[in-house]
Amino acid sequence: MSAAKRPNRLQLGVSLALAGLFMQPSMTFAQIDRRKAPEPGPAPQVTIGDHTAMDLPNGMKMIVVEDHRLPMVSVEVRFDQPPHVMGDLAAVPDLMGELLGAGTQWHTKAEIDESIDRLGARLSSGSNGVYAASLKKHFDKLLPIVFEVTARSTFPAEEFNKARDRYLSALKQREDDPDAIADEVARTLAYGKGHPYGEVVTPELVDKAARKHVAAYHKFHFRPEQGYLVFVGDITPAEARKLADRSFANWEVPEVVTDRSETGRISVDGLGELRLMLKVPRAGGVRSVSIVDRPGAPQSVVRVTFPVELNPADPRAAHAQVMNTILGGGVFNARLMQNLREDKAFTYGAYCSLQADRYVGRYTASTSVRTDVTDSAITEIMYEMERIREAPVTEEELTLVKNYLAGSFARSLEDPRTVARMVLRTYIDGLPPDHYDTYLQRLEAVTAEDVRRAAMVFLNPDQASVLVVGDKSAIGNRITPLSYRKSLAQLDVHGDPYREEVLPAPPGMTAEQVVEKYLEACGGSPTIAGIRDLHMRMTATMQGIPVTVDQYFSVPGKRLTVMRANGQELQREVLADGRAQRTSPTGTEDIIEMELEDMVFEAHPFPEERYAERGRMVLPGVVDLDGRKAYKVVMMADNGNGFTEYYDMESGFKLRREEFRTTAQGNLNIVTEYQDYRPENGIQFPHLIEQVAGMRMVLTVKEVAVNEGLDPALFVFEE
Amino acid sequence: MLATNAPAQMKPIAFTEFDLDNGLHVIVHEDRSTPIVAVSVMYHVGSKNEREDRRGFAHFFEHLLFEGSENIARGEFSKYVEGAGGVLNANTNGDRTYYYEVLPSNQLELGLWLESERMMHARVDQVGIDTQREVVKEERRQRYENQPYGSILIEVLKRAYTVHPYKWPTIGFMEDLNAASEKDYKDFYETYYVPNNAVLVVAGDVDPKEARRLVEAYFGPIARGRDLTRRQVEEPVLKGEVRDVVYDNIQLPAVVQAYRIPAYGTPDFYAVDMVNRLLSSGNSSRLQKALKDEQQKALYVGAFSFPFEDPGLAIAFAIANAGVDAQALEEAMDAEVLRLQQDLVQEEELAKLKAQLETEQVMDNARIAGVASNLASAYTFLGDARAASTEIERYLAITPKDIQRAATTYFNRDSRVVLHYLPKSQKN
Repeated sequence: MSAAKRPNRLQLGVSLALAGLFMQPSMTFAQIDRRKAPEPGPAPQVTIGDHTAMDLPNGMKMIVVEDHRLPMVSVEVRFDQPPHVMGDLAAVPDLMGELLGAGTQWHTKAEIDESIDRLGARLSSGSNGVYAASLKKHFDKLLPIVFEVTARSTFPAEEFNKARDRYLSALKQREDDPDAIADEVARTLAYGKGHPYGEVVTPELVDKAARKHVAAYHKFHFRPEQGYLVFVGDITPAEARKLADRSFANWEVPEVVTDRSETGRISVDGLGELRLMLKVPRAGGVRSVSIVDRPGAPQSVVRVTFPVELNPADPRAAHAQVMNTILGGGVFNARLMQNLREDKAFTYGAYCSLQADRYVGRYTASTSVRTDVTDSAITEIMYEMERIREAPVTEEELTLVKNYLAGSFARSLEDPRTVARMVLRTYIDGLPPDHYDTYLQRLEAVTAEDVRRAAMVFLNPDQASVLVVGDKSAIGNRITPLSYRKSLAQLDVHGDPYREEVLPAPPGMTAEQVVEKYLEACGGSPTIAGIRDLHMRMTATMQGIPVTVDQYFSVPGKRLTVMRANGQELQREVLADGRAQRTSPTGTEDIIEMELEDMVFEAHPFPEERYAERGRMVLPGVVDLDGRKAYKVVMMADNGNGFTEYYDMESGFKLRREEFRTTAQGNLNIVTEYQDYRPENGIQFPHLIEQVAGMRMVLTVKEVAVNEGLDPALFVFEE
Repeated sequence: MLATNAPAQMKPIAFTEFDLDNGLHVIVHEDRSTPIVAVSVMYHVGSKNEREDRRGFAHFFEHLLFEGSENIARGEFSKYVEGAGGVLNANTNGDRTYYYEVLPSNQLELGLWLESERMMHARVDQVGIDTQREVVKEERRQRYENQPYGSILIEVLKRAYTVHPYKWPTIGFMEDLNAASEKDYKDFYETYYVPNNAVLVVAGDVDPKEARRLVEAYFGPIARGRDLTRRQVEEPVLKGEVRDVVYDNIQLPAVVQAYRIPAYGTPDFYAVDMVNRLLSSGNSSRLQKALKDEQQKALYVGAFSFPFEDPGLAIAFAIANAGVDAQALEEAMDAEVLRLQQDLVQEEELAKLKAQLETEQVMDNARIAGVASNLASAYTFLGDARAASTEIERYLAITPKDIQRAATTYFNRDSRVVLHYLPKSQKN
């Protein structure tokens, strides 16, 4: 350019000669500076394509988006009505969608399949409609099939039975897929199973679905007056209308089958009463942590989710979108991706989504991380949610994400179906007619303060449901403390509370005999009765610091536990003569009431001797405990503080104890596992004790001294 | 008869192409309908070019090439693209590595700068290497180890090949990635990431003349690399049937059958692909109809031909319905292959496939990113970018006799791999 401005013949001649000599590249090399990114040209205009909308005589809304670049036409038939609780009939919508086209008034399933394939067309159906596409030259033959599938399906009994069996198989396959499990269970955690968005199909519910329900649901849901017929592609509105006039326009409105009462219930022929559910479920209390156990899983699939009140028409929707994108929505430079992948290398990817919905939306953070960093990954997700609430995002982040979203909008318009989707959403969500035309302006106006406010309003880290699909034995103890309830809810693959499989105990076996067998395995009652005193020294690591725990028993009724780190005493608990006291850095206090009652019963190395005095014991049966068969013994203590213990069926040793304790400090869930039984002075003791009570501690038994005499001065109280 | 061979409706994809002095081949496709542009580079290197003790290196290296360059600091590469409103990604297979950006069309120059930086002087530091090695391990766990049936390809490949590098999966093995050293990165980059081993595609809302000027400016100064000598590994014919059981975290058994097939681009590849399409493309195809609808043995069934540059594989995969055992499922699959070997396919059935192929061709080129990728692949593996438009003719030329011959020659029971995937609970 500069050469052209200076009319210097010589220079021009030289450069032309050079150009001839070295070919063009040598001339252009000089024009770029590759040390920095090139400047963009003027921004291109983004235009949303036009559409035509018209009503068919039966009330069906027809939309046409013309695009003649490719010789393709697609059609979407879509039905919309407020969500309703299906309850026992939850499997019916899916079965209906699956069975569309599996037999119609005029053709068998095989005939329909054959005619679609002959056109080289695609057709898919679901509980909310049908989608099909073909080359333009075949489309006039495709549309009558789409109509037949949509409106004239007959749900033959034979096909229904096949579909039901297939559904049951598909459920089994889902049960093996950790991502599918995570998505489904997270949905139930966010919305609750009583909400239409939280309903889950189980094998039992598939069995409850009958052919007549499917036919009734079709009649209820697939109705022209609540339907949209959307054409996109190489077709004019006149051509589309002509095709519709020969098919969908003639679809008679079925006689009224529903009775919408004021009570939020509708009575539907053949389905009974369905409950409409428009109310927004509230986030369910404080943060919870749930697990679906997959023993041995190499990764944990993690979801963090809660419901969100965010209508697509809400002016804050653009703020929320920018906020979510900065946090973890799709861009590689999002915080979750940068933190969990690029910085920590926990995962191949970490994302979040914030779904707006006219009834109730939802936030979900998702990642898959290697098992041993599961707790750290959840902590980082929570940290990023807190951070974006507390501090404004940087200008750099804000600009990047706004540019990215504007670019995504432009790119999405490459597909003419995007325009159709926008038109459909405008109708269904009741958006202002210029909602999408003004989107880029709304996006551009978003400020860092808008983003922070959106994070404050729409993110609820303290009320989130955290879900892990992973190896419970490896991580259960470490993720429990992340719950504000200090408990871990174990769920099954459908999101119901996990019920371990309990096999019946051998006939005649009682809880008392299980405990007796344990005492026998440890050395037998006479040996245990011979214990006068005992000192056990254990070591552990607490928050990275090595600690020593000394426990002393003096029979009867005295116990002392002292925990030290670097020779410094951290905590002391003493029990003697029916009184107990705890000393910690915060001071000394008496242990009273229920906690004291429990301690008194545990003033012996083998408190099992006195279980019978403590309450009532039952033996529900035998369970699988990490691959070992174990008796499950439940103690219902008279003071209400019960516990559950598991005893190895083979060796008799106690493997695990779970207890829920009411203390002065609040409720506490304590899980203790006992391993590595070895004899000391002829008595068997576990040498590895793992305990989770708010935090996790692994105790290793170093020394056990039995009947070597203890100084009575050990068991004194501070006054 | 000719009537069924109606020509495809799609207009050929128009493009210009040229070579730079350094050997870079460039393809420019102009489509002004949406103001976006795709910039992509296909390097003719994949996991089959790896040393046997560096399995997974090509894909790992792909991750590293997002780390930066002499002029792009670590982590900035994706910032430039996303900050410009674009998307970027890459993928690797046995034969090639493909990088792309889709940008607003006023950012064409940015895309060219980024890809030329990647080709000219990419830079990787130890932090990047250590991080991406862990990321790739998680990718492997997520995609292959923590998925039901996720190990299928890995298990098939190691049995289907004995000497050819296709015997290991592109994702590779972590011990090999742990062993990689500075010299490996340098050698790989200098050998394969050179203009004479790549094709650059610019597609979308561009002025081809301006695009050429910019391409020459950004890519012209990149030095030509050494000429590549491509090692030809002859994989001997699979002698006998290789049969095995894999126990997985699944409830429903599955059957995998793998047959060795001719290389992508050879006439018989298309005949083999037609066999697979007859078997499983569309609800009325033979396996779908017989196994899912009529016999209700399968929950899922699919038959695919892998278009590998060297002789590849056809893989059929079926998941049994609850209560159906793997043997019964396998017999039902075999019966359909046998039928193709014994009886000639009717023209009417063939016409269905041809209609599907026409539709598929239009759909595959509906997005500019797809057009860019198709042009790059056609140039790299079929020797001519025009094949992106004309490849369909090779399918349309396949006759019922070709199909029968392909079914008989390549779908041979005495030369295949059969795996039964069974629930771990059945392992004794």
